[in-house]
Amino acid sequence: MANIFPRWSNLLPFKIAVCAGTVGAGVALAFTYYATPKTLNVGYQPSQPIPFSHKIHVDQLGLDCRYCHSFVDVSGVSNVPTGSTCWNCHQHVQRDSPKLAPLHKSMDVTYPGYDGKPIEWVRVHKAPDYVYFNHSAHVNRGISCQSCHGDVNKMEVVYQAQPLSMGWCLDCHRAPEKNLRPLEEVYNFGYDAETYISNNPQLGVKTTEELGLKLKEQFMVKPKETCAACHR
Amino acid sequence: MSKRILHHPAVPIGETTVSWRSVGQLEDTADFRQWMDREFPQGAAVLASEEESETSRRSFLKLMGASTALAGFGMAACRRPEAYILPYTKAPEWVIPGNATYYASAMPRAHGATPLVVTTFEGRPTKLAPNGLHPDAEGTDAFAQASVLDLYSPSRSRGFLKSGKPVERTKFEAVLATLATDSAAKIGFLFGADDSPTRVRLIKELAAKYSAAKFYQYEALTGDSSSIALGDGVKLVADFSKADRIVSLDCDFAGVDFQGPVTPFFDRRKPEGKFYDSKADAASMNRLYSVEAAFTLTGGMADHRLRVSPSQVTAVAAQIARGLGVKAGVAIVSPELSDPKQVAWVNGLVDDLKENAGKSIVLAGSRQSLALHLLAHAINVELGNIGDGKPLLAVQTDTKGLGNLAALKADIDSKAVETLFVMTPSNPIFDAPTDLQFTDTYAKLKTSIHLGMRTDATAQASTWHIPAAHYLESWSDARTARGTHTVVQPMILPLYNNCISEVELLLALLSNDGKLLNGEGEKGAASPAYAAVRSTLSTLGGEGETAWKKFLRDGFLEGSLYPLVSPAPRGDMSAPIIASPPTKDALEVIFSTDSSIFDGRWIDNGWLQEAPDPISKLTWDNVALVAPLTAKELGIYDQIIQLETQFASRSPDDEAQNRTSPMIQLVVNGQTLEIPILISFGQAENTLVIPLGYGQGFDENDELKRGPKNVDCVGLVGVNRGFDAYPLRTSTTAYFAAGATAKPTGKRYSVALTQEHNAMYGRALAREVSTLDDEVKGSFSAQLANVPKQGNDAHAPPNISLYKQEDRAGKPLINDPIHQWGMSIDLSSCMGCNACLVACQSENNIPIVGKKQVAMGREMHWIRMDRYFAAQKDNTFDDGNPEMVPQPVACVQCESAPCETVCPVNATIHTEDGLNAMAYNRCIGTRYCANNCPYKARRFNYFDYNKRNPLITHNLYKGPFGVKQVGEAPHLQKNPNVTVRMRGVMEKCTYCVQRLQEAVIRQKRGQKQEALVAGKPSTEMTVNILTLRIPVDSVKTACQDACPAGAITFGNLLDEEKSVVVRSKRIDRNYDLLNYIGTRPRTSYLARVKNPNPKMPDAKFIGKATIHMV
Repeated sequence: MANIFPRWSNLLPFKIAVCAGTVGAGVALAFTYYATPKTLNVGYQPSQPIPFSHKIHVDQLGLDCRYCHSFVDVSGVSNVPTGSTCWNCHQHVQRDSPKLAPLHKSMDVTYPGYDGKPIEWVRVHKAPDYVYFNHSAHVNRGISCQSCHGDVNKMEVVYQAQPLSMGWCLDCHRAPEKNLRPLEEVYNFGYDAETYISNNPQLGVKTTEELGLKLKEQFMVKPKETCAACHR
Repeated sequence: MSKRILHHPAVPIGETTVSWRSVGQLEDTADFRQWMDREFPQGAAVLASEEESETSRRSFLKLMGASTALAGFGMAACRRPEAYILPYTKAPEWVIPGNATYYASAMPRAHGATPLVVTTFEGRPTKLAPNGLHPDAEGTDAFAQASVLDLYSPSRSRGFLKSGKPVERTKFEAVLATLATDSAAKIGFLFGADDSPTRVRLIKELAAKYSAAKFYQYEALTGDSSSIALGDGVKLVADFSKADRIVSLDCDFAGVDFQGPVTPFFDRRKPEGKFYDSKADAASMNRLYSVEAAFTLTGGMADHRLRVSPSQVTAVAAQIARGLGVKAGVAIVSPELSDPKQVAWVNGLVDDLKENAGKSIVLAGSRQSLALHLLAHAINVELGNIGDGKPLLAVQTDTKGLGNLAALKADIDSKAVETLFVMTPSNPIFDAPTDLQFTDTYAKLKTSIHLGMRTDATAQASTWHIPAAHYLESWSDARTARGTHTVVQPMILPLYNNCISEVELLLALLSNDGKLLNGEGEKGAASPAYAAVRSTLSTLGGEGETAWKKFLRDGFLEGSLYPLVSPAPRGDMSAPIIASPPTKDALEVIFSTDSSIFDGRWIDNGWLQEAPDPISKLTWDNVALVAPLTAKELGIYDQIIQLETQFASRSPDDEAQNRTSPMIQLVVNGQTLEIPILISFGQAENTLVIPLGYGQGFDENDELKRGPKNVDCVGLVGVNRGFDAYPLRTSTTAYFAAGATAKPTGKRYSVALTQEHNAMYGRALAREVSTLDDEVKGSFSAQLANVPKQGNDAHAPPNISLYKQEDRAGKPLINDPIHQWGMSIDLSSCMGCNACLVACQSENNIPIVGKKQVAMGREMHWIRMDRYFAAQKDNTFDDGNPEMVPQPVACVQCESAPCETVCPVNATIHTEDGLNAMAYNRCIGTRYCANNCPYKARRFNYFDYNKRNPLITHNLYKGPFGVKQVGEAPHLQKNPNVTVRMRGVMEKCTYCVQRLQEAVIRQKRGQKQEALVAGKPSTEMTVNILTLRIPVDSVKTACQDACPAGAITFGNLLDEEKSVVVRSKRIDRNYDLLNYIGTRPRTSYLARVKNPNPKMPDAKFIGKATIHMV
């Protein structure tokens, strides 16, 4: 009886196993790399009901973050401005811009489609589930908005600049000196540590690292690494 | 290898105390030993059976396999779902998104309002706490804590009814408009027994407008003996801070029979002082004598307790009066006490009262007989206890002139009242005494209008039912026990548009056109109720904007107390006739106020239903309670305690979830009731105690097939719950009835008891000392010094922990130099009232699990209120009267925590500041930690109790196909700062870590403030530990905040002597629970101190209830 399976087929199971293993390992590697906040979330840039430009408001007009996000230093959540905050200026400025229709709808009683309902902003930054992130704990201790939200002052449309993953949080909690700033500079998007050092020679620090370490010691910044710091 | 058999430490030789939690433990049944050896009884941890568990393991795997395969095809997961942020359009003042806002308010109640501070998150009230600023602040009880849940109750009434059928609001408004214009209407108003200045003012206006108007007040379980004895609307208010000796004559003043702020009473149960800042001094303590039939919370605190049936309490009071030589007023002709032991007891008490004349209080239970009240008043007058600066104040309340239910009945029968507004929180159709035949009378009314939050029996029987607004939704005001004028502010507009408050309804009647305005009122104008409350304040002396703002901010008007009166003892009453003591053929039945649902009004409150009764530890039902000896005489003891049989290692009861109790047939006052029965220790012989308020409605799922009956009267929580004892009562036997007979019926009924759940091994769990010298145990100071050396702690060598307290580098693991949290619980002032348990439930989003799950031991309460009984073997005075010691146990936050070392996924870990934290999202539910917890303080979510409704039969077993939680509102109560746990997750107390974090972060903000104030660049400022440490004792856990007894202290251990908790941990009474196993808990306990009178015959058996568990 002739051999049904040719000789080369002897190695076939082995080859299949190697191939399948490689593919499997590849999928696993790809998943662990790509299916993380770093690739999935960074760059998330939904379109908003009003194409609000941080670039114009912050960079060109020089508004402080806290004009709109007014409770960022007293509350855990940084508030999105109320309709009346926008309306303060926009009942005078650019009043008739068609882009502001949703604002008129919620604030302008003379507007035909007025319903008084809030504007539905699309959420960009979201800490993972089960995390209780507190803004006030960070901005009052020398961590700038910029460290987590990126160069918002340059953004026409806000996008997520950092992964906001647990590993990313811990990187900073383990070495906060890389991001610490003097409290006056927390809301300053133009802050540059080297310029700051050269402008303040009395501090006696030479490098940005030294500045961070000095602030860490002076402010007694000892970020918690225990679970209950964020999960409860 | 066979399982290692654990040998429980034996009771020390020569120990005379026998202690137990349940009858099962006393008799050492197999059932109890299961609770002891296992975390859950056999079978509780597995799916019950193939047909009961709708999804078996196999079909579960099938389903899971299919859904995993299908998951790949759906592309829905590829897009990130959009979430929206909706800011306010116009921000309300003071509201900071993410931060809580606090408002002063009060809960109106029959005995005086409870001043509260309400926590709201973006307008949602979520948590109640006592108002510490208020002069009458005295903590909260379980009822007050749980009342926030009523606001969001799915079964809440939300629409108008006409004769029980839904109807448009406009139909009722037409009726109201007609009434408002008819000033000759024969109109009556039935109010609750609470006192509100605005209502008093409106009553006067109504009386002026309606010439024929009549006003009544009624609550089912507030007796009127006191106001008959003292005068119309006069009541006694106790000031416990001035009382050295307190005699409670069947008065549960610490529990359900409030007589004035109780916190000062508990402060004086601590021999080291309220703040633990002086040396232990027995003379600074008060002494409580209690005469009662069944254990109450007050009786549990008593130094001397005499158990007699309620009819005989009057005889004891008469004996006291005779001993004190009271002549004025009441004629005492009752037979003298015959039992020489009781006579000796009373003589000792009389001597003590004589020595403390003017510094003592004699309180009579408010539901007790008039004779007792007359006697108690005469005694107080004789001792000079009443008056300004004395421990008792007689005050004239504003409820003067209101008729009672009997008067109302007479007026309806004589057609003097044709239209009746029923606004009482009680339920007269359900709970009025039977001899009044109130249902028939009620039907004679032309129009009856009921205002209530539930569609209860009265709502169904009325012509019109109006859904009532919750007190957290309406403008009103109230008086506290001493009369302080206190604001009731709305936190939120009524959740449902049609909900109307009492003040709004009265104002509509007073208006010319009878227009019913509720909630916000008309556009552009202040709401009418707001205006009414404000104008009441100005009439009472708080004029102007500043006074109003202060009233709202502080919650009260300063100096607005009731006027004092001095009622003389009455002599015109006929002599009391005291019945002969009960026998086993003529039992005395006590209709008691329920600790869970009060008079039945909270039957639809899941938190209260699931909170175990403080004494019987029963949940979700009521049963008759009987003393063990009486049970034996009645021949039912053996049916209640089914002892281990010869051939079975399990008790015939089978598993705990199938536990049943035998039923008896009770005949009293010509009425019959079948009700299950349980053993209760320390109860007077030949008495039966039946808590009232249950049995309001049944559907077809009822265990005893009693339904469908009155099913519209209750919601999902209250349906099929318990047995209705109201029909057994008449006006003269409203509190107790004599001449009852009971016989077993052979039927059984399932009961969900928690008393055997989570039983702990080991010894000397709750410890007690006496201020009296003891032959064996020595003097008070010697006993104090011995507190930490009880049980195994006396001889076990100091424990060296196997678990390292340092990391590899040698740095201590618990190393936060700023905060180290710690707690102490003082058993000397803890009475076991459940306020902490319910407060914890509302703060930490703890779900209810339903009766069936409780029976399996799956209740989720983070605080377990253990209740121990302890008796002396040689107690020759009364061996059926054990001492009762409650002990709340939550996670004790061990420094060397056994749970942490066994978690395979590091879901429970220690924080640097000494908490044993839970990362819920890490937990995979192995339950190793709960197995390894010696305190049994961990709770496991067997099901998604928060999402799936556990109250629908079999619903939990249907998984994703089950019915979700009903109603749109329950999630609104949830605390946004605490994770809502899901199925398969372990949870436990974490010292309210969300509150600690909030406080610590708030303190961190201070650094910024300092920099701003100093005006220097932040780089020049130095932050030290004190900048970052929160102010001493500035953060409170939810349980501590709620505790009316001040039994829980919490704080930062690094604050040293400045902190109350550190001082409390340094006194002699401090001991660690199960110290000898070396877990180094952060929560410690302070031993209970009893202060017996050496002259009393039972003195030497008191203060020895150190609990040695075997």
